[in-house]
Amino acid sequence: MKKNTTEASATTRRSLFKTFLLCLPMMLLTFMMLTGGSMPTGGERLFALAATFLFFNLLFFLMVRTGKTDRFRSILFITLAVCFVFSFISNLIAVRGSMALSRATMIEGGAPFCHLVIPMTLIPAVLTKTIIFPGKILGSYSIAGMFVIWIGVSLALGRGLCSWFCFFGGLEDGFSRILKKPIIKNISKKWTYLPYAVLLVVVLMSALTLSPTYCQWLCPFKTVTEFVEITSVKVLIQTIIFVSLFIGLVVVLPILTKRRTQCGLFCPLGALQSVTNKTNVFEIRIDQDKCVQCNKCIRVCPTFSIDEESLGRGRVKASCTKCGKCVDACPQKALFYHVKGTSLSSKLDRYRLLFLYPAFLVLAIIAGRFVQDAMVKAINLITTGTMI
Amino acid sequence: MKKLKGMLGYIWAFLTVIIVLATFMGNDYFSEQLASATGITISPWFSGGEIVKTLDHGTYKTYIHRPVFDALIGEKRKGFIQLNWEPYAGLPPVVQETIDYNGDNRADFLITLNTKTGDASLTAHSPTVLFIERSYGLKKGWAVRVHLQKRS
Repeated sequence: MKKNTTEASATTRRSLFKTFLLCLPMMLLTFMMLTGGSMPTGGERLFALAATFLFFNLLFFLMVRTGKTDRFRSILFITLAVCFVFSFISNLIAVRGSMALSRATMIEGGAPFCHLVIPMTLIPAVLTKTIIFPGKILGSYSIAGMFVIWIGVSLALGRGLCSWFCFFGGLEDGFSRILKKPIIKNISKKWTYLPYAVLLVVVLMSALTLSPTYCQWLCPFKTVTEFVEITSVKVLIQTIIFVSLFIGLVVVLPILTKRRTQCGLFCPLGALQSVTNKTNVFEIRIDQDKCVQCNKCIRVCPTFSIDEESLGRGRVKASCTKCGKCVDACPQKALFYHVKGTSLSSKLDRYRLLFLYPAFLVLAIIAGRFVQDAMVKAINLITTGTMI
Repeated sequence: MKKLKGMLGYIWAFLTVIIVLATFMGNDYFSEQLASATGITISPWFSGGEIVKTLDHGTYKTYIHRPVFDALIGEKRKGFIQLNWEPYAGLPPVVQETIDYNGDNRADFLITLNTKTGDASLTAHSPTVLFIERSYGLKKGWAVRVHLQKRS
């Protein structure tokens, strides 16, 4: 009887009115965060704000009404990544004239700080009270600002940060959805330990050399953001390495495996975030009574966070990014979002909603800025022939 | 106990929305608090280190940073010293500076910078002075880094 109740609550579509009521708080919050307390001036900015607001809230409405999470999350997540890259590169070109980061800009602390650098900066920060990055402590794209966001989002979502905040993750997510079926199906479990090895190596190397090793040598996302000006053979080698990693881990392997290979098999921040999942209140659980061992969740998980062992334990691995793909895919509705400490047998939809509010809010806030900016630039490009 | 755990779970879940709002709405405030509470600065390997001496030449100034040998624990054997000349508008065609970076009252090196082309040359008077990194045109003026090594 209990089983039927939970099954029904997870699959039934909500009425339009009830969905609207549940979406009202999100509408208010996204409006408040997108406007920042003041309405923009200028037709194109106003249009971008209205379009962004409607687009975001339509996705949330559909999430709440249909009970599908990843289907709609992925649309916004991929949009965020595309708009971030477009907005970031166009800003760089407007300000600096190129995507290349000169040594002079580094001396002046002009490099924008991103969350992927955080693991490397922790030991030197504690021991030397300095941040090993050529950025700014305060201001826009600042180090302190990104640390605050990282702490806040980690407290709220744990490793959910990787699927609801990371403005790079959407690139792989997008590429992983191109093919209908994966070409490479079997990936050894051993590879899932690689991010922890990368984390260990880059943290130790960064501490020893007092330089952000991962940023300098390995970060694939420099290909679509900014990279150090090639002035020496060393920088040329670094460039070849990170471009190759981008092509391999962010484009080719996600297409062939239908997984987020950079996130699941390489990212050191992802490895660190797995620890935050242990202390986070939200988790994905597996109802072993409902599970028929079809292994669909194992096949679809983009970050290799479910295996046969997980199904036996009723819990996914710590590397879970809470994207909801497994929850959407399970034909038995055996996987569900859960609030730690509460009962496992009922109120599954309530748990999901309790997760969706903070998670979608994070995604909407971070995407809002870049989607609006990209939209304004695209409008300017079409109407005036220039983005600025 | 079960009920209490459940209650705490719900409270914590509800608080996450507040945490998210506070994180983004109070980002500037929390950033400043974090920066001032930790006293964190940018590594001198990137920023060039603190300015320890300013030479006023009338139309322009020379800023001498402290020698940087910082390591995770202790000091490295090799480091550098950064010099800045500002502002561009007040700089003569060529600037020349004799530097005693270790305060032993003996000139350690002589540096010459062509402020039009950015070409810089170094005359070392001490075996601890190694070579000059290229000059950098910053927003306000020129910067040069001279590589050093510790006395063995």
